[in-house]
Amino acid sequence: MADSPEEIKKAIRTYLIVGGILFAGTVATVLVATVPMFDIGRHGFDHWDMWLGLAIATTKASFVAMVFMHLNHEKKAVYWLFASGIIFAIAMVILIFGAKADPIEYKGFGEGNASIGAEP
Amino acid sequence: MEIPYVVTPRKDTGLNNSKIAIWLFLASEVMLFGGLFSGYVFLRIGADYPWPERTLPVLPGLINTFILILSSVTVVFAWAALKMRKWAQFQIFMAITVLCAVVFMGFKGLEYSVKFHHQAARLTDYVMVEGHIDYEKPATDHDAHGEGHAEVEPIRDALGEKVEMNVQRFLPATINYEVARVHKPWVEKTLAEAAAAGAKITLSKDIDFNRAGESGKPVFKAGTELSVGLLEEIAAAQWANRASNSKWRTKFLRQAWKDKRADPSSALTEAAFLSEFPNMGALPPAEKDKAFARWKAGKRARLAADVNLEAATLKQDGRPVTYKDVQLPEIPNAIFAVASGEKPFSLRWDNLDVITDYKAGLTEITLRDGTVLGGKQGDSSMVFHYVDGIDFQHLVMIAEKKGQDPLVAINESWIVKNNPEVAKMWELHQAGVKLLEADLIKDYGYEEDGVTPSRVPTHKDRYRMGWQEIAYYAEIFHEKGGYKNASAADVKIEEGKYTPPRVKAKVMEQFKGPDYKTRHFIHLTVPREQVMMDSKFTPKWNTYYAIYFTITGLHGLHVIGGAIVLAYYLFCGRSMYLSNPEWLANRVEVGGLFWHFVDLVWIFAFPIFYLM
Repeated sequence: MADSPEEIKKAIRTYLIVGGILFAGTVATVLVATVPMFDIGRHGFDHWDMWLGLAIATTKASFVAMVFMHLNHEKKAVYWLFASGIIFAIAMVILIFGAKADPIEYKGFGEGNASIGAEP
Repeated sequence: MEIPYVVTPRKDTGLNNSKIAIWLFLASEVMLFGGLFSGYVFLRIGADYPWPERTLPVLPGLINTFILILSSVTVVFAWAALKMRKWAQFQIFMAITVLCAVVFMGFKGLEYSVKFHHQAARLTDYVMVEGHIDYEKPATDHDAHGEGHAEVEPIRDALGEKVEMNVQRFLPATINYEVARVHKPWVEKTLAEAAAAGAKITLSKDIDFNRAGESGKPVFKAGTELSVGLLEEIAAAQWANRASNSKWRTKFLRQAWKDKRADPSSALTEAAFLSEFPNMGALPPAEKDKAFARWKAGKRARLAADVNLEAATLKQDGRPVTYKDVQLPEIPNAIFAVASGEKPFSLRWDNLDVITDYKAGLTEITLRDGTVLGGKQGDSSMVFHYVDGIDFQHLVMIAEKKGQDPLVAINESWIVKNNPEVAKMWELHQAGVKLLEADLIKDYGYEEDGVTPSRVPTHKDRYRMGWQEIAYYAEIFHEKGGYKNASAADVKIEEGKYTPPRVKAKVMEQFKGPDYKTRHFIHLTVPREQVMMDSKFTPKWNTYYAIYFTITGLHGLHVIGGAIVLAYYLFCGRSMYLSNPEWLANRVEVGGLFWHFVDLVWIFAFPIFYLM
């Protein structure tokens, strides 16, 4: 645990390196989105660009969480707490996706018999 | 009170209490922002209209990202300095962190204010027009594209306020106020405008709150001039009569109920119950009682609904009176007539304040406070002093769904058909898109079939003219001495950039929006009946902006909250540093954890909203 002053002194260099990685990652995100040379998939924004952008963002977030938030050497209790938040968030997303399987059907409302949640 | 485990770790978890607590809190924040972001994802996936992609300028968001990352680094260094008992270093790093937060919010505030001043309109054929609506100004000698217009002082209305050229005008001949609901500032505005135009507004007929043949209640004579005080007096008389009528109605209803209950056919006895439902007599006693109770309640309700208010009589001064004898007139409306002076008298209303759907030639409009104006509609056009965005994407989507050729649909749209400058601009844009297609084929070639190009311009490239495109075409118009002299041959694209023809955005333009003073844009007057909905770039405009403002706004509040806590450690931590430095270090660590989380949210928010 980087708690003692000696360990913290060693960690300063790591913090600086990670800070540099984050800056570089930000530049990379913008280059990937705006420079045509790095435009993967179709011309313009498509789902490949989205996955790439999210991958870079997730990598940056991992660095912040692991190094700056000390998650790389935390106690188990913290892992459980944070993981529970992530698990519940994923469960919430799955539940919303599940709404497509149980669409609300209604008749009327003027524009024909549309269904909320069903495939168009 | 001694708070345990703020420095010494607990034996069971190996952590101090504040660390457990902050991680628990961060788990809840993950749920909060996770919910909002996943809401955005689903709304975007499920949208059945073109989603605004990459319409925000990237530079402010990029700089804000750098600032937040820097602050994340400095907050860790501040904590490290505390752990190593270097107070001065802690102060420096913490001060930089708080300063970064202030700068972040400054850029955010600038971004928001540019959005809130930028106007957009969705026309009835789903064409989107974006630009800048100016204030009404006196006509001056300047060219049609507004050069020099920015320096002219706006006209002020009778209350001294500037008038945005996005209002509904109405020339009233009669005004019908709902006295109880009337919005007094609007009455004051009306009076001020009338005074400036030399118009007179007077009560058109007598309002008498007395019963026929009686006196004592207020009477307002026809010809009385409108004033806020007059309306208040009429409202007071109205309320007094209503209160009196209400009291009498209660008395008469009580009497009517008594009369009803006195009628033998209204008996609520068991005998009456059994005579109506003889078979109930065979029930066991407990069930019979229940049935009787239900019958009694039902019959009571039917009797109550059936009372005859008019027939009831009460004794007053020895003689019988009915409700009609004591009922006072209730007069909720006061109608005024407008006599115009030398200058035309028109009133200006914000679109949201007029309930009546706009139609050309309306002779009556109703306002939000129930006031009805009768008269003539004035010019209610939306006047864009600078149009910096024309978006056909939604119109094209609808045309394609119907199986129509999108280019035909665009040529038939109001904006192209009725505005030759826009039509010429659209012609130039199509030429530019053709050049873009050729450039993409030149560099990326064809698919295996040899016919389908590997890369094609996007829907947005083809059908949306953003400010950079419009500025480019308007510059051509300016150079050629008018749009009529411009042609497709004048359009060039920058090879290898793979964008439609456009001007390059200057650095300040990415923060403050297009530079209307030096660039050329087109002027456009849109008749109100062409406008389906108009809004500034606010949460109301579309779902994307609603979510953008929600998430970045909530994030901004987190930045402010975190900065306040960190500033507290910076300015008020000295005494704790001297008495228990390890406790302060733990507090700063916990505050820093929250700050990193705020940075994490922005790491996702920036690419999602600005780059996708």
